[in-house]
Amino acid sequence: MTAYSGQIAGRAGGRRHAWWRRIGAAGRLFRIELRRSAMLWMMPVAGALFWYNAFRESMAEPAMWNLRAMTMHHGVLLDFAPPVVGAAAWMGSREGRRHLTDLIGTVPRPRWTAQLVTWAAVTAWALVAYCCCVGVVYGLTARQASWGGPLWWPAVVGAAGIPALSAVGFAAGAWFPSRFTVPIATVGAFFALGFSAQPRAPQWQVSPTAAGSPYIGPDAGIGTFYHYLPDLSIAQVICMAGVTAAAIGAVGLLDRASGPWLRTLAYGMTAAGLAAVFVAAGLAGTARLDPHGMLAIPALHDAASDEPIKYTPVCDHAAVPICLNPAYAAYLPNVREAITPVLTELAGLPGLPKSVGQDPPAYGGPLNSSFVAGGAGVVVSEASPGGSQQFNLVLPDQLPAEPGGADITVRQFVGQIRLSVAADLINKVVGSAPGGESRAQHAVVTALTFDAGVTRVPRADAAVSAAASRFAALPAAVRHAWLAAHLTALRAGRITLAQLP
Amino acid sequence: MTAPAVSTVSAAGSAARPALRLIRLHLASRRVTAALATIAACALALRIALHWSWDTYGALQLPLIFESGCAAAVGITMGSPFGEPERATGRWLPLLRLGSGIAMTATVVVALAVASIGAHLAGGIADVARNVVGLVGIGLLCATLLGGALAWTGPVVYMLVGAYGLYTDWHPPALTSPWIFPARPQHDLGGALCAAAVFAAGIATATWRGARETP
Repeated sequence: MTAYSGQIAGRAGGRRHAWWRRIGAAGRLFRIELRRSAMLWMMPVAGALFWYNAFRESMAEPAMWNLRAMTMHHGVLLDFAPPVVGAAAWMGSREGRRHLTDLIGTVPRPRWTAQLVTWAAVTAWALVAYCCCVGVVYGLTARQASWGGPLWWPAVVGAAGIPALSAVGFAAGAWFPSRFTVPIATVGAFFALGFSAQPRAPQWQVSPTAAGSPYIGPDAGIGTFYHYLPDLSIAQVICMAGVTAAAIGAVGLLDRASGPWLRTLAYGMTAAGLAAVFVAAGLAGTARLDPHGMLAIPALHDAASDEPIKYTPVCDHAAVPICLNPAYAAYLPNVREAITPVLTELAGLPGLPKSVGQDPPAYGGPLNSSFVAGGAGVVVSEASPGGSQQFNLVLPDQLPAEPGGADITVRQFVGQIRLSVAADLINKVVGSAPGGESRAQHAVVTALTFDAGVTRVPRADAAVSAAASRFAALPAAVRHAWLAAHLTALRAGRITLAQLP
Repeated sequence: MTAPAVSTVSAAGSAARPALRLIRLHLASRRVTAALATIAACALALRIALHWSWDTYGALQLPLIFESGCAAAVGITMGSPFGEPERATGRWLPLLRLGSGIAMTATVVVALAVASIGAHLAGGIADVARNVVGLVGIGLLCATLLGGALAWTGPVVYMLVGAYGLYTDWHPPALTSPWIFPARPQHDLGGALCAAAVFAAGIATATWRGARETP
C-alpha cells in the first residue's frame, strides 16, 4: 500500500467513523427525547380512549376476524387522534413556548434534525401504544374465533395513520407555537377524521377511518368467503405516507438557517407528500363495489385476490347434515333450529336436499348502495352429477349479538333463516305446474310454510286460505302420507283445490 | 350642571378607572384576546360545517367538537404568567378569575348560538349551553390540577367520550349515564345537573386556587 492509498483509506475510515458518531449522537438524542416526550404521559389516555370506544365496540362483535378488524379500523384512529395530535403539537411548540428558538438556532446541527428526532420519539411511543391496543384485540380474537387469521391491512392502515397524526400535530405546534395551538390542532384533526368518516364523494374513502364501503360497513360476509381486498388499504397507506411527508417537510421549511439542500429537500418532501395525497384520493375515487362487498381499485387490484378462500366446512351429523363456513361454526345450532321444522315437514319426499351448505352473500348495486343482492335465502345447486342435491343457503347479514342498528336477537335470526329457507325449500319440493303455480299447490305451500313455524305465510285468496287451513289442521302423519302419495300429481298440477284433504 | 355635580361624576369615574384597568390587565395577562380569536375561529368553523350534510349522529357530534375547542381555550386562559407575586399582592384575584371564567363561558355560548343562526343546529341552543358549561367546568378543573397550559386535555378527551356516547344512541347498547351529558336528550334534567355540577366545581376551584403553576 502506498502512502497515498493509505491516506485515502484513512480518510474513508474517518468518514465511516464520523457517520457512526452521528448515528450514535442521534441515538442518544432519541433516547433523551423518548424520556421527555409528552406522548409518554398520553399513552394511558390513548389506551383508555381505545378501551372506551374501539375496543368495546370491536369486542361486542361476534368473534370473527373480519368484523372485529374492520370495526377496530373504523374507530382506532379517532381514539388516538386527540392524544397523539395533542402530544405532538405540544412537543412541536416546545421551543417556541420556552423561547428557545434563537438559542437552538445557534447549534451546528440543523434544527430540523432535532425536530425530527422529537417527532420520532412522539411517534414511537404512539406506535407502541397502538401496537399494544391492536395486539390485545387481535390476541383475544385469536382465542375466541373459530376459524381464520388476523386481517393485517386494517392494522397497517392504523399504523400508517399514527405517524401522519403526529406529523400534522407536530407541524402545527412548530409553525404556531402557542398554547392555543394544541387544542385547535387536536379538535381540527378529530373534526377532519370524523368529517371524512361520513358518507361522501368516493375520493373521501381514502380517509383512514373508512374500512370499506361506508354504506355497508363491517359485514360478516366480507373477507370470509373471498380474500380481504387490500386495494383501499393501499390507497389509504399512500395517503397517510403523503400526509406524513408533507407535514414533516413543512416543519423543515421553518428552519431558515439550514443550507440550500436541506431547504430543497423540505420543499421536495412537502410537494411529494401533497402529490401522494392527491394520487391516493384519485385512486380511491375509482373504487367500485365488487360482488364480495369490498372496494376494488382497478389500478391497485390483484386478480389473485378474487379467488375464493379454501376451507373445510363445519358440519353436524344429522340425517340431512348442515355444513357451514367454519367462521360461522357458532351459528350451526341456530341454523339447525331454523331448518329442522322444514326438513321434518318434507322428510322422505322427492326433492328434499341430501345436505345443506352455505353460499357467500352477493353484493351489488352502485357504490353508494347497501344493497345485498343475495340476502338470506337458498340457492339450489347440484352438488354432484349423480343427483345428490345440496341446498346452499345465505345467512342473514346481521348476526345475533352484533351491535348494529338492527341488533337482532337469536330468535329473530332463526326466524329470518326459517322464513326464507321454508319458502324456498317448500316451493322447490312442491314445485310449480307447467302453466304456473296451481291453486292447490299454493294452498299446500301455505299450509306447510305455516306448519314449519313461519309466522309470515304467502298471501292467498279466501278459498285457498280455507283449503290451506284444512290441510294444515290434519295430523302431521296423515298430511305427510297424503303428500307422499300425491306429490307427483300435485307437482304436475293435476290436483284441484277440492281434492285436497 | 353645577360645580358639585361635575366633581361627583369625575370622582366616580376616577374610582372606576383603576378597577377597569385592573380587569383589562388581568384579561390581557390571561391571553384573553387569543382565546377570543380561538372561540371566533371555532364558531366560524361550525358555521361553515353546518352547510354540509351530516348523518344523524354526525350532526349531533359536530357542535360538540367545536364546543370542546372553545372550552379548552377558556381553560387555558386560567393560566397566570406571574405566579407567586400576583397571588401575594392581588387582593381581587379570586373575583377576577370568577368573573373572567363566567364571562368567557357566556361568550362561548353566545358565539356558537350566533354561528348557528339560520342553520339547523342539531340539539339546539339548550344543548350547546349545557355542553359548553360542562366542558368549561372540566377545563377549569384541569387547569387547577394540571396547569393552564394543559387545561385542554380534559375537554379534548371528554369530547371523544361525548362523541362516542352520541354514537351509541344509534348503535346500542347506549351509554345513558348523566355524566356523559352530551349524549343525553336536550331537556334531560340529569344531564343538565351533572354539567352544572362540573361547572360549579371547576369555577369554584379555579376561583379559589387558580391554575396550577407549571415550570
